[in-house]
Amino acid sequence: MNVFSMMLILISLITFVIGQLVLKRAMELAGAIGLGKPKSVRTLTLGIVLMAISFFLTLGLLRNFDLSYLYPFQGLSVIIISLAAAVLLREKLTMPLFVGSALITVGVVLVSIS
Amino acid sequence: MTESSRRGFFNPWFQVALSTALVTVSELCLKRGAMASIPATGTWGWTGIAGLTSPLVWLGILFVILSFISWLYVLKHLPLSVAFPASQAVHVLVPITSWLVLGELISPTRWCGIALVLVGLAVVAKPVAALEEKI
Repeated sequence: MNVFSMMLILISLITFVIGQLVLKRAMELAGAIGLGKPKSVRTLTLGIVLMAISFFLTLGLLRNFDLSYLYPFQGLSVIIISLAAAVLLREKLTMPLFVGSALITVGVVLVSIS
Repeated sequence: MTESSRRGFFNPWFQVALSTALVTVSELCLKRGAMASIPATGTWGWTGIAGLTSPLVWLGILFVILSFISWLYVLKHLPLSVAFPASQAVHVLVPITSWLVLGELISPTRWCGIALVLVGLAVVAKPVAALEEKI
Protein backbone atom coordinates (compact mmCIF):
# COMPACT_ATOMS: atom_id res chain seq x y z
CA MET A 1 0.00 0.00 0.00
CA ASN A 2 1.63 3.21 -1.14
CA VAL A 3 0.40 6.79 -1.35
CA PHE A 4 -0.60 6.33 -5.01
CA SER A 5 -2.83 3.30 -4.32
CA MET A 6 -4.35 5.05 -1.32
CA MET A 7 -5.18 8.00 -3.58
CA LEU A 8 -6.76 5.69 -6.19
CA ILE A 9 -8.92 4.07 -3.50
CA LEU A 10 -9.96 7.52 -2.27
CA ILE A 11 -10.77 8.75 -5.79
CA SER A 12 -12.82 5.63 -6.59
CA LEU A 13 -14.79 6.16 -3.36
CA ILE A 14 -15.30 9.89 -3.99
CA THR A 15 -16.38 9.41 -7.64
CA PHE A 16 -18.85 6.70 -6.51
CA VAL A 17 -20.40 8.96 -3.85
CA ILE A 18 -20.56 12.04 -6.12
CA GLY A 19 -21.87 9.80 -8.93
CA GLN A 20 -24.83 8.67 -6.78
CA LEU A 21 -25.55 12.28 -5.73
CA VAL A 22 -25.42 13.47 -9.36
CA LEU A 23 -27.69 10.60 -10.51
CA LYS A 24 -30.17 11.54 -7.79
CA ARG A 25 -30.05 15.19 -8.93
CA ALA A 26 -30.52 14.07 -12.55
CA MET A 27 -33.66 12.11 -11.67
CA GLU A 28 -35.00 15.09 -9.67
CA LEU A 29 -34.47 17.23 -12.77
CA ALA A 30 -36.17 14.53 -14.85
CA GLY A 31 -39.18 14.75 -12.56
CA ALA A 32 -39.24 18.55 -12.65
CA ILE A 33 -38.46 19.46 -16.27
CA GLY A 34 -38.50 16.09 -18.10
CA LEU A 35 -35.80 13.53 -18.87
CA GLY A 36 -35.44 14.68 -22.49
CA LYS A 37 -34.28 18.22 -21.59
CA PRO A 38 -30.57 18.96 -22.25
CA LYS A 39 -29.94 19.82 -18.59
CA SER A 40 -31.33 16.44 -17.43
CA VAL A 41 -29.39 14.55 -20.09
CA ARG A 42 -26.14 16.38 -19.19
CA THR A 43 -26.55 15.65 -15.47
CA LEU A 44 -27.46 11.99 -16.09
CA THR A 45 -24.44 11.59 -18.41
CA LEU A 46 -22.14 13.16 -15.80
CA GLY A 47 -23.50 10.71 -13.20
CA ILE A 48 -22.92 7.71 -15.47
CA VAL A 49 -19.39 8.92 -16.34
CA LEU A 50 -18.53 9.31 -12.63
CA MET A 51 -19.87 5.80 -11.88
CA ALA A 52 -17.86 4.42 -14.82
CA ILE A 53 -14.64 6.08 -13.56
CA SER A 54 -15.23 4.58 -10.11
CA PHE A 55 -15.96 1.16 -11.66
CA PHE A 56 -12.76 1.03 -13.74
CA LEU A 57 -10.57 2.40 -10.92
CA THR A 58 -11.93 -0.36 -8.66
CA LEU A 59 -11.35 -2.93 -11.41
CA GLY A 60 -7.73 -1.76 -11.74
CA LEU A 61 -7.23 -1.79 -7.96
CA LEU A 62 -8.62 -5.35 -7.79
CA ARG A 63 -5.62 -6.48 -9.83
CA ASN A 64 -3.28 -5.41 -7.03
CA PHE A 65 -5.36 -5.88 -3.91
CA ASP A 66 -7.71 -8.49 -2.47
CA LEU A 67 -11.44 -7.83 -2.75
CA SER A 68 -11.64 -8.24 1.03
CA TYR A 69 -9.17 -5.39 1.40
CA LEU A 70 -10.89 -3.01 -1.04
CA TYR A 71 -14.53 -3.73 -0.29
CA PRO A 72 -14.66 -2.23 3.23
CA PHE A 73 -13.86 1.14 1.65
CA GLN A 74 -16.99 0.73 -0.50
CA GLY A 75 -18.91 -0.05 2.68
CA LEU A 76 -18.00 3.40 3.97
CA SER A 77 -19.99 4.87 1.07
CA VAL A 78 -23.25 4.12 2.95
CA ILE A 79 -22.62 6.53 5.80
CA ILE A 80 -20.89 9.09 3.53
CA ILE A 81 -23.84 9.09 1.09
CA SER A 82 -26.37 9.52 3.91
CA LEU A 83 -24.42 12.50 5.30
CA ALA A 84 -23.78 14.02 1.85
CA ALA A 85 -27.46 13.66 0.89
CA ALA A 86 -28.41 15.49 4.08
CA VAL A 87 -25.90 18.32 3.54
CA LEU A 88 -25.88 18.72 -0.25
CA LEU A 89 -29.37 17.57 -1.28
CA ARG A 90 -30.98 18.89 1.93
CA GLU A 91 -32.62 15.55 2.66
CA LYS A 92 -33.90 15.07 6.20
CA LEU A 93 -31.46 12.88 8.15
CA THR A 94 -33.27 11.54 11.21
CA MET A 95 -31.49 9.87 14.14
CA PRO A 96 -32.76 6.34 13.29
CA LEU A 97 -31.69 6.84 9.67
CA PHE A 98 -28.21 7.88 10.79
CA VAL A 99 -27.89 5.03 13.31
CA GLY A 100 -29.23 2.51 10.78
CA SER A 101 -26.76 3.69 8.12
CA ALA A 102 -23.89 3.44 10.63
CA LEU A 103 -24.92 -0.15 11.55
CA ILE A 104 -25.15 -1.11 7.87
CA THR A 105 -21.70 0.42 7.27
CA VAL A 106 -20.15 -1.66 10.06
CA GLY A 107 -22.05 -4.75 8.83
CA VAL A 108 -20.82 -4.33 5.25
CA VAL A 109 -17.24 -3.87 6.47
CA LEU A 110 -17.54 -7.08 8.54
CA VAL A 111 -19.06 -9.01 5.62
CA SER A 112 -16.19 -7.86 3.40
CA ILE A 113 -13.17 -8.43 5.64
CA SER A 114 -14.06 -11.97 6.71
CA MET B 1 -51.63 10.31 -6.13
CA THR B 2 -48.43 10.67 -4.10
CA GLU B 3 -45.25 9.16 -5.50
CA SER B 4 -44.74 6.39 -2.97
CA SER B 5 -48.38 5.33 -2.97
CA ARG B 6 -47.98 3.96 -6.49
CA ARG B 7 -49.01 0.35 -6.47
CA GLY B 8 -47.54 -2.90 -7.71
CA PHE B 9 -44.68 -2.77 -10.18
CA PHE B 10 -44.35 1.02 -10.06
CA ASN B 11 -44.15 1.25 -6.27
CA PRO B 12 -40.65 2.67 -5.55
CA TRP B 13 -40.15 0.21 -2.67
CA PHE B 14 -40.88 -2.69 -4.97
CA GLN B 15 -38.24 -1.24 -7.32
CA VAL B 16 -35.67 -1.05 -4.47
CA ALA B 17 -36.27 -4.77 -3.88
CA LEU B 18 -36.24 -5.53 -7.63
CA SER B 19 -33.02 -3.60 -8.23
CA THR B 20 -31.33 -5.37 -5.28
CA ALA B 21 -32.55 -8.79 -6.47
CA LEU B 22 -31.31 -8.05 -10.01
CA VAL B 23 -27.84 -7.14 -8.68
CA THR B 24 -27.76 -10.41 -6.72
CA VAL B 25 -28.78 -12.52 -9.74
CA SER B 26 -26.24 -10.69 -11.93
CA GLU B 27 -23.42 -11.36 -9.42
CA LEU B 28 -24.27 -15.08 -9.47
CA CYS B 29 -24.34 -15.11 -13.29
CA LEU B 30 -21.03 -13.22 -13.49
CA LYS B 31 -19.35 -15.58 -11.01
CA ARG B 32 -20.62 -18.72 -12.81
CA GLY B 33 -19.72 -17.20 -16.19
CA ALA B 34 -16.26 -16.09 -15.06
CA MET B 35 -15.51 -19.60 -13.79
CA ALA B 36 -16.81 -21.16 -17.03
CA SER B 37 -14.60 -18.88 -19.15
CA ILE B 38 -11.32 -19.76 -17.38
CA PRO B 39 -10.28 -22.12 -20.27
CA ALA B 40 -10.57 -19.15 -22.70
CA THR B 41 -8.16 -17.02 -20.64
CA GLY B 42 -5.03 -15.98 -22.56
CA THR B 43 -2.60 -13.06 -22.47
CA TRP B 44 -5.39 -10.64 -21.61
CA GLY B 45 -6.66 -12.82 -18.78
CA TRP B 46 -6.16 -10.13 -16.14
CA THR B 47 -8.69 -7.83 -17.82
CA GLY B 48 -11.50 -10.36 -17.41
CA ILE B 49 -12.33 -9.74 -21.10
CA ALA B 50 -12.34 -13.51 -21.75
CA GLY B 51 -15.49 -13.60 -19.64
CA LEU B 52 -17.35 -12.28 -22.67
CA THR B 53 -17.06 -15.77 -24.23
CA SER B 54 -19.57 -16.98 -21.64
CA PRO B 55 -23.32 -16.43 -22.27
CA LEU B 56 -23.78 -16.26 -18.49
CA VAL B 57 -21.55 -13.16 -18.36
CA TRP B 58 -23.74 -11.48 -21.00
CA LEU B 59 -26.80 -12.43 -18.97
CA GLY B 60 -25.09 -10.90 -15.91
CA ILE B 61 -24.42 -7.68 -17.86
CA LEU B 62 -28.09 -7.57 -18.94
CA PHE B 63 -29.20 -7.89 -15.30
CA VAL B 64 -26.78 -5.11 -14.24
CA ILE B 65 -28.28 -2.76 -16.86
CA LEU B 66 -31.85 -3.63 -15.77
CA SER B 67 -30.94 -3.03 -12.12
CA PHE B 68 -29.45 0.37 -13.06
CA ILE B 69 -32.68 1.43 -14.82
CA SER B 70 -34.69 0.27 -11.82
CA TRP B 71 -32.30 2.21 -9.53
CA LEU B 72 -32.78 5.42 -11.54
CA TYR B 73 -36.54 5.00 -11.05
CA VAL B 74 -35.94 4.59 -7.30
CA LEU B 75 -33.84 7.78 -7.21
CA LYS B 76 -36.64 9.66 -8.93
CA HIS B 77 -39.10 8.79 -6.18
CA LEU B 78 -37.20 8.27 -2.91
CA PRO B 79 -34.63 10.31 -0.92
CA LEU B 80 -31.09 9.04 -1.51
CA SER B 81 -30.39 8.92 2.24
CA VAL B 82 -33.18 6.32 2.56
CA ALA B 83 -32.86 4.44 -0.74
CA PHE B 84 -29.10 3.87 -0.65
CA PRO B 85 -28.96 2.26 2.84
CA ALA B 86 -31.96 0.11 1.84
CA SER B 87 -30.12 -1.07 -1.29
CA GLN B 88 -27.36 -2.43 0.96
CA ALA B 89 -29.58 -5.48 1.51
CA VAL B 90 -27.47 -6.74 -1.39
CA HIS B 91 -24.69 -7.42 1.16
CA VAL B 92 -27.03 -9.87 2.86
CA LEU B 93 -28.46 -11.42 -0.32
CA VAL B 94 -25.16 -12.01 -2.16
CA PRO B 95 -23.38 -13.99 0.61
CA ILE B 96 -26.51 -16.02 1.41
CA THR B 97 -27.28 -16.88 -2.23
CA SER B 98 -23.55 -17.65 -2.79
CA TRP B 99 -23.84 -20.06 0.12
CA LEU B 100 -27.11 -21.65 -1.10
CA VAL B 101 -26.47 -21.69 -4.86
CA LEU B 102 -22.69 -21.77 -5.24
CA GLY B 103 -21.90 -23.70 -2.06
CA GLU B 104 -19.48 -21.00 -0.80
CA LEU B 105 -18.75 -20.91 2.91
CA ILE B 106 -19.75 -18.07 5.24
CA SER B 107 -17.38 -17.43 8.17
CA PRO B 108 -18.72 -16.53 11.65
CA THR B 109 -17.47 -12.93 11.22
CA ARG B 110 -19.41 -12.70 7.94
CA TRP B 111 -22.59 -14.00 9.63
CA CYS B 112 -22.10 -11.24 12.25
CA GLY B 113 -21.77 -8.67 9.44
CA ILE B 114 -24.93 -9.99 7.78
CA ALA B 115 -26.79 -9.75 11.10
CA LEU B 116 -25.58 -6.14 11.62
CA VAL B 117 -26.71 -5.13 8.11
CA LEU B 118 -30.15 -6.67 8.85
CA VAL B 119 -30.40 -4.77 12.17
CA GLY B 120 -29.34 -1.58 10.35
CA LEU B 121 -32.01 -2.15 7.68
CA ALA B 122 -34.65 -2.63 10.38
CA VAL B 123 -33.56 0.64 12.07
CA VAL B 124 -33.66 2.47 8.72
CA ALA B 125 -37.14 1.04 8.02
CA LYS B 126 -38.56 3.01 10.98
CA PRO B 127 -37.98 6.51 9.57
CA VAL B 128 -39.24 5.13 6.26
CA ALA B 129 -42.56 4.23 7.87
CA ALA B 130 -42.73 7.77 9.28
CA LEU B 131 -41.88 9.18 5.85
CA GLU B 132 -44.74 7.20 4.26
CA GLU B 133 -47.17 8.58 6.86
CA LYS B 134 -46.09 12.15 6.17
CA ILE B 135 -46.51 11.70 2.42
